[in-house]
Amino acid sequence: MREKSGCKWLLYVIITIVILLPCSKSSGDVSGKIIIFNAGSLTLPFARMEKEFEARYPKADILREAAGSRKCARKITDLKKPCDIMASADFTVIDQMLIPKYADWNIRFATNRLVLCYMDKSKYSKEVNAQNWFEILGRKGVVWGHSDPNLDPCGYRSLMVLQLAEKYYKIPGLYERLIANRPKENIRPKSVELVSLLQTGNMDYAWEYRSVAVQHELKFVELADQINLGNYKYDEFYKKAVVEVAGKKPGTTIKKKGKSCTYGITILKDAPNKEAAISILQYMLDPHGGLKVLQEMGQPPFIPCRVPTAAMRKSLPRVLQKMVEVKD
Amino acid sequence: MKREPFFWITISCGVVIMAFILLPLIQLMTSPSLGMLRETIQDKDVVRSIWLSIYTAGLAALISFVFGTPLAYLLARREFSGKRFVEGIIDLPIAIPHPVVGIAILSVAGKNHWIGQVFSELGVRVMGSVTGIVTVLTFVGIPFYLNAAKTGFESISPRLEKVSRSLGASMFSTFVRITFPLAWRSMLIGIIMCCARAISEFGAVVIVAYHPMIAPVLIYERFEAYGLRYSQPVAVWLVSICLVLFLILRILTLRNAKEI
Repeated sequence: MREKSGCKWLLYVIITIVILLPCSKSSGDVSGKIIIFNAGSLTLPFARMEKEFEARYPKADILREAAGSRKCARKITDLKKPCDIMASADFTVIDQMLIPKYADWNIRFATNRLVLCYMDKSKYSKEVNAQNWFEILGRKGVVWGHSDPNLDPCGYRSLMVLQLAEKYYKIPGLYERLIANRPKENIRPKSVELVSLLQTGNMDYAWEYRSVAVQHELKFVELADQINLGNYKYDEFYKKAVVEVAGKKPGTTIKKKGKSCTYGITILKDAPNKEAAISILQYMLDPHGGLKVLQEMGQPPFIPCRVPTAAMRKSLPRVLQKMVEVKD
Repeated sequence: MKREPFFWITISCGVVIMAFILLPLIQLMTSPSLGMLRETIQDKDVVRSIWLSIYTAGLAALISFVFGTPLAYLLARREFSGKRFVEGIIDLPIAIPHPVVGIAILSVAGKNHWIGQVFSELGVRVMGSVTGIVTVLTFVGIPFYLNAAKTGFESISPRLEKVSRSLGASMFSTFVRITFPLAWRSMLIGIIMCCARAISEFGAVVIVAYHPMIAPVLIYERFEAYGLRYSQPVAVWLVSICLVLFLILRILTLRNAKEI
């Protein structure tokens, strides 16, 4: 009798341990602060991912800093600010500014495309559509803007859309004509800042990523795939758009060629909390986790995510290797 | 004479505070090379932005002076119900986060607001204009002027004014001939404070006007597009020029203080 109750007691202990073991492991291995620098256009989906992730791992504390993608990189390369994960709206920013000194790899995880946003009160909002937007932007008195091409990829991409429209619709001089109707004062550092100009009635039309338009519940005109920089099938055509942006020092410029909007993400080499950063990436790249959030917030993800070479895939943390495919 | 411990506490606290303020500034001022500094000041954009900064901050101070002086005088001399409330409102711009100031001003200046509609019919543009910059700078700077001028007026005995009034001078002429000569130093300090606050403003301005660029916005743009190497020299020039301007103003006030 006594022996039996002893066995029972032991059984309870074992059962309790077995039940608790996975819990304590899953909430125990991800903890501490994880710093993420992200492109402004990722702010809202990342905020939601943060909530979901921190609900799973209460000990984790994600700190996000949103800025233009190039500024994010500058904070790492120039200001030496500690950072675990960097997500850029243009994956080439990571390739050009962070690899190889600050990062080893670069996963392409989502896409986006350009749309023309407006409000009910915007001029000619009743008539604007995919066929006449470029004619409306050329009208006198219409205030439209884009973000600074030197600071924000969305800025030079907006200009590329205009160039592509000129080629696609075969209207010579369209680009110059439209730019002439956009005083410099209508430019803002980041595209997200244009949203408040639309909402306060200071601007009629603004170029945004589709995701930003969806997240801020703006009205927007969807453009043809050939010009919206959203479909990599048209990369050959996108290449024909060329915009000059700030070079290495003031007064110098470099040429940016059009290419589909592809988001890149990496973990920094000297990430202060690498373990946790890998767990976050595992969640972000999961089709039922972060990628689902992106989908819902207007930012079509790559399922699965992509790296350009097999060698880069090999350099990923092991748990991430099986989550990506090699595709250029 | 034996120094008390309290004396040494004051000295050591003073040294700590001086180091706290000066160390980062010295680091900033000594980072760029002389060649870089020369190259930067030859850059037309830099000169234009620093000039625009000084000019708009000066205009903001002038507006604060013209419209703020009567209010400061009223607050210093009269007791009325709701005075504390008015004083609270005056301090509000100091407490509001800068981007919020910018958005608030834009929302009044936009088409969604009747004031914005009136403006657009008059052809006045706030977004992306010098008008907009001055509006923002006045908004953030005016509390500093009001408070300094008010303190100045309060320190002058109302008796002097009463004597003047009893001898037949009007309220305006009393103000010009008695109050102003006694309070002008506080008013000047208020103007300096207002200017200083205005020159340093970034967060609200960048929302209302990115172009034309004032110096802090240019520093930000240079940092983002080209990195620290090209933004620091601009900052050094802005800090140096402001320092010289404020020093001159301070010295002027001091010299006159001794004369009186």
